[in-house]
Amino acid sequence: MIDNHVFPILIVITPLVCAFFVMGLYWVDKRLCLPLTILAISISFISSIITLYSVLTSGTIQYKLGGWPPPIGIEYRIDLLNGVILVIISFISLFNLFTSFNQVSHDFPEKKGTFYSLYLLFTTGLLGVVITGDLFNLYVLLEITSLSAYAQIALGDKKRAPFASLNYIFIGVIGASFYLLGVGYIYMMTGSLNMGDVAHLIHNLHHSQAIFVAFIFCIVGVWIKMALFPLHIWLPNAYTYAPTASGRIIAPLMTKVMVYVMIRLMYSVFGIDYLFNTLHISQSIIYLSSAAVLFGGIMALSQDNLKKMFTYIIISEIGYMVGGAWLGNKTGLTGAILHIINDVFMTFALFLSAGNFAWRIKDLSIHNLEDIFQKMPWTSTGFVVVALSIIGIPPTCGFFSKWYLILGAIEAKQYLFIIALILSSLLNIILFFRVFEKSLFSSKPHVMESKETRSYNLIEEAPANMTIGLLVIGAILILIGLYSGKIVSNLILPFIPKGL
Amino acid sequence: MKKVALIVVILCGAILIHATSEFPKWGEINSPASLHVSPYYIKYSVEQTDVPNIVTSVLADYRGFDTMFETTVIFCAGLACFLLLRIFNDKEEETESIFYRHIPSGIIIEFKNHEVDIRDEDFELIDSKFVPYDLIIKTVCRILIPFIQIFALYVVAHGDFSPGGGFQGGVILGASIILLAISFNLKTAIEKISEKTLGVLSAIGVFIYAGIGCLCLILKGHFLDYGKLAKILPIDPVKARAIGMLGVEIGVAITVMAVMIIIYINIASQGKHQEGL
Repeated sequence: MIDNHVFPILIVITPLVCAFFVMGLYWVDKRLCLPLTILAISISFISSIITLYSVLTSGTIQYKLGGWPPPIGIEYRIDLLNGVILVIISFISLFNLFTSFNQVSHDFPEKKGTFYSLYLLFTTGLLGVVITGDLFNLYVLLEITSLSAYAQIALGDKKRAPFASLNYIFIGVIGASFYLLGVGYIYMMTGSLNMGDVAHLIHNLHHSQAIFVAFIFCIVGVWIKMALFPLHIWLPNAYTYAPTASGRIIAPLMTKVMVYVMIRLMYSVFGIDYLFNTLHISQSIIYLSSAAVLFGGIMALSQDNLKKMFTYIIISEIGYMVGGAWLGNKTGLTGAILHIINDVFMTFALFLSAGNFAWRIKDLSIHNLEDIFQKMPWTSTGFVVVALSIIGIPPTCGFFSKWYLILGAIEAKQYLFIIALILSSLLNIILFFRVFEKSLFSSKPHVMESKETRSYNLIEEAPANMTIGLLVIGAILILIGLYSGKIVSNLILPFIPKGL
Repeated sequence: MKKVALIVVILCGAILIHATSEFPKWGEINSPASLHVSPYYIKYSVEQTDVPNIVTSVLADYRGFDTMFETTVIFCAGLACFLLLRIFNDKEEETESIFYRHIPSGIIIEFKNHEVDIRDEDFELIDSKFVPYDLIIKTVCRILIPFIQIFALYVVAHGDFSPGGGFQGGVILGASIILLAISFNLKTAIEKISEKTLGVLSAIGVFIYAGIGCLCLILKGHFLDYGKLAKILPIDPVKARAIGMLGVEIGVAITVMAVMIIIYINIASQGKHQEGL
């Protein structure tokens, strides 16, 4: 029998241990690599569901690593917020394997095993960052996540990817060291690394300059990693030239997990009192995130490459979540957390559709997408659903988080943020209808030559697993939208700290 | 733009230095860092873990989970290096000439003609960046390498008692093989310890670490709770913690060694594993 308390650790340990096995198996039998990877992430997925279930029934779970009580040793602490995000990460990681295993064999015929090993390490890193209750442990896992992301991105496009990855390394390392410096300062002032313990000790240090600097450095470090507007320059190229299989998982998860880390630092370590009563910076951060929302939208508009357009949409969405988290009221934070959940799926679907298009069309410029609706009807259907969700049309999930964010902004009287949110929706409409126009309404005069016409009508879909994957995620987008009331009342509201 | 960057850097530094003015004084007994958790480690570490070196017990036991992931970071670096640099198809690029080595005598033959293809057991193809080696260096290194390796093993095994441990020992062990590759040639080093062995070793090292953790889990303890190893070892839980730490250090050393060599081989030979530096 497995005790209930084992599951939190299984979430992180199974992918980790299997990463080593996959690496070893690579030299024995390459065919076994994929099944083992799937098995590992499935176990992790099931454990995270069980963990979330026990959080729902019996409250916050603590797991003492090495058997040492918290401030002495490291602790895993799972409440509703990270419980939900754990389930989402392991689900996306597992789902991505099904949709892109043929892409992996196509891209890396000889290095499949090592690629899967790296993929597992990336998943481990993300799960570990989310599950931990220790500031330094978070840093270590952040390092694993980033390192495996750098390597995966560098494997992409032969000409551009290594350079994009190098840029990402430089900036990412600065971000990580900022976070580490901040943690160092916190340790100097409090003597502890455990989040709960630090939150307790920080109460007496609210007016300390050193804690203020520590806070700024931690938050700016996290911002660099999540690509908030002025610190975003590494993101577009890195995500555009990443190999399809990894881009699909890195783009939706990496930035969103960093938003989670920011919310965790804000609300579980420094506390509401410190954020909104002692510091007076929330106003300027909301201006910053409004700028991010608008900048992302406008830059997306100026892109010709479909994938690059998507990367600027990510930057815009980061602005939504950061702004929501800093609004300083219940509705805003609810909107931000709901948007993390929604945006993981939306970005995943965006990159799935980009990958499917890329399977047929090598160059993803928008003018190349002509008549794509006839060639790839199913992929295009999925793409339309995602686009509607990003614009924020009611039955899809994108609408609801935006709704909460706007309500929160009205409550906080942040009119600039409201304007930015609405303008961004309008920009998204233009963005996607520009693509629809090309893909639905062919501008080419229909030539009567029989050869050409025949090739027009040919359906050339991406492989079945990719297409079905996209459609399933499209359906999930609508389902999350329909059930968002329940998600908010059961999963998000109980987390919101009292006093907001 | 460079000036702006410089100004930003100076500003960041100024803020950081300014904030340090609030720090407790250097060596202050009443600083938060030495009042909160440190006294616990100092007071109980020997009693609870039977390891005289407190740094080791904090590193490998109290915060052993972090160290496991630090080792994984190293494993990941080796993996990334292999994945990005290794080239499998040995298509010869347009080089000036082709070099063959006559293995018994060590004589290098250079061919200007590209069509040459010697298929003889006594000859092997080497790449053009070959630098002939020196007899003195070769002899000195041959004598030195075994001692370096013994010292590395000492550092690993003595981590419990004195500064040292898996990371340092692993690096020294790796350096001995790299020295072999530099003083002889890359092929000799790869013959002694092949790419496959290195790949497997780098995984086995971290697996030993995580495996000990899982063993504790199976023995109904928490992950990495070495005390539970006493159930299968004929010793008491406190001694078991020391043994657990030693096992973990060995795992770390294996991974660090293998990854050091993997990184060196791949960078030095540009992924071709032929001659290189």
